[in-house]
Amino acid sequence: MVETLGSLAAGFSVALSPSILFYAFVGCVIGTLVGVLPGVGPLAGISLLLPATFGLDATRAIVMLAGIYYGAMYGGSTTSILMRIPGEAASVMTCIDGYAMARKGRAGAALAIAALGSYVAGTVSIVGLMLLAPPLASFALRFGPPEYAALYVLGLLVLAYMSSGSMLKSLAMAALGLLLGMVGIDQMTGYFRYAYGIVELGDGLGVVPVAVGLFGVAEILSSAGQAAPPEVIKPKFRELLPTRAEWRQSGWPIARGTVLGFLVGILPGSAHIIASFVSYAVEKRWSRRPQEFGHGAVAGVAGPESANNSATSGAMVPMLALGVPSGPIPAVMLAAIMVHGVAPGPRLIQEQPQLFWGFVASMYIGNVMLLILNLPLVGLFVNILRVPYPYLYPAILIFATLGVYAVNNSVVDVWIMLITGVLGWLLRKLDFETAPVVLGVVLAPLLELSLRQSLAMSDGRYGIFVQRPISATLLAVGAGLVLLNLYSIARRGLDWRAKMALAEKGDAQ
Amino acid sequence: MRHRLAVLPLCALLLTPLAAAAQDAFPSRPISLVAPFPPGGVADLTARPVAAAMEKVLKNPVGVVNKTGAAGAVGMQYVATSKPDGYTLLLALSSISIIPEADKIFDRPPAFTVDQFAPLALISADPTVLVVPADKPWKTAKEFIEDARKRPGQISYSSSGIYGTLHMAMELLSHSAGIKLRHIPTAGAGPAMTAILGGHVDALASGPAVVLPHIKAGKLRALAGWGDKRVAALPDVPTFKELGYPDAEFYIWAGVFAPKGTPEPVLAKLRSTLSAAVADPDFKAAMDKLETPIAFKQGEEFQKFFDADAKRLAEGVRKVGKVEGKK
Repeated sequence: MVETLGSLAAGFSVALSPSILFYAFVGCVIGTLVGVLPGVGPLAGISLLLPATFGLDATRAIVMLAGIYYGAMYGGSTTSILMRIPGEAASVMTCIDGYAMARKGRAGAALAIAALGSYVAGTVSIVGLMLLAPPLASFALRFGPPEYAALYVLGLLVLAYMSSGSMLKSLAMAALGLLLGMVGIDQMTGYFRYAYGIVELGDGLGVVPVAVGLFGVAEILSSAGQAAPPEVIKPKFRELLPTRAEWRQSGWPIARGTVLGFLVGILPGSAHIIASFVSYAVEKRWSRRPQEFGHGAVAGVAGPESANNSATSGAMVPMLALGVPSGPIPAVMLAAIMVHGVAPGPRLIQEQPQLFWGFVASMYIGNVMLLILNLPLVGLFVNILRVPYPYLYPAILIFATLGVYAVNNSVVDVWIMLITGVLGWLLRKLDFETAPVVLGVVLAPLLELSLRQSLAMSDGRYGIFVQRPISATLLAVGAGLVLLNLYSIARRGLDWRAKMALAEKGDAQ
Repeated sequence: MRHRLAVLPLCALLLTPLAAAAQDAFPSRPISLVAPFPPGGVADLTARPVAAAMEKVLKNPVGVVNKTGAAGAVGMQYVATSKPDGYTLLLALSSISIIPEADKIFDRPPAFTVDQFAPLALISADPTVLVVPADKPWKTAKEFIEDARKRPGQISYSSSGIYGTLHMAMELLSHSAGIKLRHIPTAGAGPAMTAILGGHVDALASGPAVVLPHIKAGKLRALAGWGDKRVAALPDVPTFKELGYPDAEFYIWAGVFAPKGTPEPVLAKLRSTLSAAVADPDFKAAMDKLETPIAFKQGEEFQKFFDADAKRLAEGVRKVGKVEGKK
């Protein structure tokens, strides 16, 4: 412990040097920007800036790139809350309750809670990174294909809790998402599926264009279809800050989101996206007023926004402790330090202490910077709502198109965004929720690959899922959830969900 | 404010054709070097110092463009069909010879073919090495192969994906040694490494730079290499050639290509530029940091290497065939 504090102090002396502070700040600002702009996410931001880091040294490079990663998690909530357009894929869940809060005039409060939740999650999860990196990283490695398959099955079961309307409809949407996720090269055999000769479709449907289409473009289309333009909400200055009740409601969700996000983040995959989905489901399950979800529940903003932030620290664990990329973003960050002759591997922390501890310390500082940067911006961003829709929406559409194009320099992605946009508009007309579609698109390729890898490992025997302790445990938890639900349905007949769906139908007519 | 800013990129788009209109002696405008893989991968990390060194020699901007998708097929197809004027070049990896063969196997129209390109220069060629987790019983490649012969299909290995480079290396070995291994494809070189570090598979063929830290840390053990010479950083690890498996030869290489039909004077200029570029001290330092030895070849020599490699890989892909066709 004393040793850790000593190392951390040394790390702070690195991180507080003017040039490191400068690059951390640059990273945080760029991160906030790529987060705010719909379409462009942290991966695109980091990839675009990677060449710019070649002239720096390894520590400066990784400090700046990490700043972009966690900075994007702060910025991502902005457009989700104000316009129901996810700034990046991990903010999809924030669209639901964040936007509902904004419609009630609580946009400022939602933005402030998202920023503060991000700050708490960011800071606390670095403690986890600092103290537990080596043991947690070796635990994460024990997750092989069967464990992932079990985890994703659990993730899909959790889906059932996400909807606020009919469970049947949300399961149908999840199935649609899973089907859309089937597009692309079959990783096990090399066959192209549903690609129709378009080489770009070999990679499947990207999460970014689908999320921006289903939420952003669909929102713009459905506003355009209304007879009267949506009312412009003019925020008042004293309504910018959350009320005491809102603070109280966000405390536990932030704490739970932080722990959960960090743990999910350690596991390789698109962790920050999955973490936000899981957190939303958990908050809804644990809430005393689940019927508020979807209608501006504070916890529905606080939980996911904290989770996606602490997932970024979690993702650094395998990267720094073992030199193993836990997803596309850490992979680019590893490349950034490799270019400087630092070989990522299990001895990175011992061999490059100034890099590791300087990096950890810079994350503490970066999170403070982001909080200072984002809280005053709340007042500014909220004013975007004053812009009349005929100007605001076309501008957003341009930004979203540019952003989606920039990710892969691909026009095909722009088409995917537009087509899913129309699909999303149709689905909303028919009262379907679109968040489960996004989760399905994220999970389908992961679940399929890990399931088939497991079966390749076991030569086709399904026993592999129950013989391995971690996957057996995860599956048991999933089975428990199903049984619990069946029990409560059997006991109560109609649960609140069905009642609410009925009530909503009444409202609509 | 936001909507006004949106005009800027549009202006930039409108101005580009004007800049392109004026051209005389090559090169008179920026050259793009297309890396068909995302930033941070081998192709990208090689392309950047190559572009920087070319820029120095030509005194003309050379930019790296990441045109990614479908395991490199998107970027390669893009260069194959772009105007053969020397302004769009490709930095390709071994997969350039694999993708068209895989397309053939599935009877689909190929995204591109190898003869749509004019090879300019080979930049690096790193042989893969066979690694196993340190707690596995095999101490030598001989023990590994003998055990695999006794238990066909029982020893598993991870790869960067079906028909990917790491898969092909293992297939060439399996064929040369007459063994059968169990293939667990993953979604890239990173996940393939994670799988072996977690002990979920028994073996992996990998580029030497990536596994060296794990060998040094005692997590993995190198058994043999696929090169015609031993890897400099692993002097005690024999090659499969030495062990009597001459067909197990495989390199993860990076080379520069132009579209076929580029005028000969332009090709000549590019070739002389590249040979000056690889001698640049900054370029050497950059490759050194990546722990990737430079293996420069051009003209006849590169063509010969490329043809031999393409032939080996084509045979490898055909031997794998369609995966679902067999048990």
